[in-house]
Amino acid sequence: MTATPYLILVASLGVLWFASAKMGRGRRWVMPICVAMALFVVWHIAVTAAGSEITPTPLEAGAAFAQLVKSNRLWGDVVASLFRVTAGFFLAVAVGIPLGLVVGWSTKTFEALNPIIQGLRPVSPIAWIPFAILWFGIGDGAGVFLIFLSSFFPIAVGTVAAVQNISLVHQRSAMNFGLKGVELFRRVVLPAAMPQIITSLRIALGVAWLVIVAAEMVGMDSGLGYLINDARNMGKRYDLVAATMIVIGAIGIVLDLMIRRLERFDEVRWGYAKR
Amino acid sequence: MSDEVAQARANENAGSTPGEARPKVVFEGVDKDFDQGGQPLPVLRGVDLTVKEGEFVCLLGPSGCGKSTLLNIAGGFESPTAGRVTIDGDPVNGPDARRVFVFQEYGIFPWASVWDNVALGLRHLGKAEQAAIIQPTIDMVGLQGFERSYPMELSGGMKQRVEVARALAVSPDVIYMDEPFGALDSLTRLQMRAEIVRIWQESQTTILFVTHDVDESIQIAERIVVLSARPGEISDIITVDLDHPRDLGSPEYGRIKNRLFETLGVSHSI
Ligand SMILES: Nc1ncnc2c1ncn2[C@@H]1O[C@H](COP(=O)(O)OP(=O)(O)OP(=O)(O)O)[C@@H](O)[C@H]1O
Ligand SMILES: [Mg+2]
Repeated sequence: MTATPYLILVASLGVLWFASAKMGRGRRWVMPICVAMALFVVWHIAVTAAGSEITPTPLEAGAAFAQLVKSNRLWGDVVASLFRVTAGFFLAVAVGIPLGLVVGWSTKTFEALNPIIQGLRPVSPIAWIPFAILWFGIGDGAGVFLIFLSSFFPIAVGTVAAVQNISLVHQRSAMNFGLKGVELFRRVVLPAAMPQIITSLRIALGVAWLVIVAAEMVGMDSGLGYLINDARNMGKRYDLVAATMIVIGAIGIVLDLMIRRLERFDEVRWGYAKR
Repeated sequence: MSDEVAQARANENAGSTPGEARPKVVFEGVDKDFDQGGQPLPVLRGVDLTVKEGEFVCLLGPSGCGKSTLLNIAGGFESPTAGRVTIDGDPVNGPDARRVFVFQEYGIFPWASVWDNVALGLRHLGKAEQAAIIQPTIDMVGLQGFERSYPMELSGGMKQRVEVARALAVSPDVIYMDEPFGALDSLTRLQMRAEIVRIWQESQTTILFVTHDVDESIQIAERIVVLSARPGEISDIITVDLDHPRDLGSPEYGRIKNRLFETLGVSHSI
C-alpha cells in the first residue's frame, strides 16, 4: 500500500517532535520540517482520494526527480536558465545602479527620465518575448535580454528611491567637507544608498528567476521552463513537471540566500539593524 | 529691550579694540522667513551678533525659536531672507570645510568605521599624514581602541565624540554645534560638556554652540546669547565671568541662572 512510507514518516516526525525538547541549535528546523512533511502527506492524500491517474503523488515526483538527476538533461537545462539569469542580471546591475544613482541625485535628470522609466516598468517582460525573439532569435540572447529587462526596473527604481532617501544631515556633512563629483558618489551617495540597493537586487533576482521560467516555456528551446513544457508535451509526464518545479524552487532559495550574504558586509549592516 | 541689553549689545558691536580678539563670525541684521503653505513664517528677526575669534558662545532659546536656522545660516546651509553673515569679513555663501558643523542628529556616516569617519576631511593627505592627525584626535575624544568600530556598535555619546573628532581633525577655525548632546543621558552629557570645554581650551577654536538647556549654557559658554520665542530675536546677552572648572554652586552661577530664567520667561522654583 502506497501510504505506508507516509505512516512511517509521520511516526518518526512525532518522535522527532518530542525529542526536539532536548535539542540545541537544530531545534528551529523541527517545525519547518514537520510542516513540510504534513503538506506532502496532504498532497498525497488529496491525489489518491481524487483518484487522479495523471497528477503525481510526492513519491512519484521524487522518483521523477531521481530520474532527472540521472539523465544528463537536467544539468543542461539548469545551466541554461542560470546562465541567462546571471548574464541578464549583471547587465541590469551594471546599467541600473549607475543610472539610478545619477537619476536619484540630480533633480533634472529625474524629471527627464522618471516618466519614461515609470511608463516602461508596468509592461510585463513576457510581453517583450516576440520582440526579443525577433531581435535575438530563439536562444540565450533573447533570454538574457528579457532578464535584463525584468531586473533592470526594480534595480533602477530601487536605486533612485535609495538615493532620494539619503538623510539631510549626511548630505550636509558631505557638503560641509567639500565632497564633489565622483568622490561624493563614492564616499556618500553609493554607500548611503547601498542597503536599499541590495534589497532591490534581491527583489530583482527573484523576479528574474520567475520570468526566466515563463520565458523559456513560451519562447525558448532549453532551460528549466522548456523542460516543464517538454515533459508535458512528450507523453504528459506530470511527475517530471512537478520534479522540475521543485528544482526551480530550490534554486530560487539558493539564489536568494546568496544575494542576502551581501547584507552582512560591515558597510551596509547599519541599514538593516533595528534603530 | 532693557538698558542692560542695549549696553551689552553696544559693547558687542563696538568692534575690536587693540589687545582684544578680532571679530570672527558677524551676523548683521539677519532675518529669516520660511514658506509655510504660501505664507511667510517669520523665524528670525534682526539678529546682530559678533562672535570673536576663539570665543565660546552659546545660543540659548526655547524649542522652535530658530536656533538651528541661525546656525545653518552661519554654516552656509541656508541663506538669510535679509541681512548677512560674514566670517573674517567675507560673506558666507555656502558650506566651507574650514568651518565644521556638528549636527543635532548624528551626522557621521554609519557605513564608515570610526577611523574613516574622522578621515573624511583629511582625504587629500597621504595615509601617513592622515594617521598622524587621526590617531591623536581619536585619543583626544577618548575613543582609542574603537578605531575599527562602526557607528552602530557605539553608544550615543561615543557617536557624538566621533563627530566631534571628525570636526577637530581638520583644525577648523569655527565649529558649529547644534544641541550635540541633546540625545545623551544626563551623566554622559555632563562628561561631554567638560570634554568640549577642555578641547576648546586646547584648540582655541571659535565655537558656536546651540542649546535649550540653561545649565549647559552656563557651564560651558563664555557668552550666552538668548533668543526669544519665534520669531527669534536676541533678547539678552550674558557674559559668564567664571573660570573653568566652574563651581555650579557659586553665587554668580545662581545669579546668571536666575537672569536667564527671567529672560526666558519661566520660573524655576516649582
Ligand atoms: N526647512 C524649513 N521649512 C519650513 N519651516 C522650517 C524649516 N526649518 C525650520 N522651520 C521652522 O522654523 C522654526 C525654527 O526651526 P529651528 O529648527 O531653527 O528651531 P530650533 O530653535 O532649532 O528648535 P529646537 O530646539 O527644537 O531644535 C520652526 O518653527 C520650524 O517649523
Ligand atoms: Mg534645532
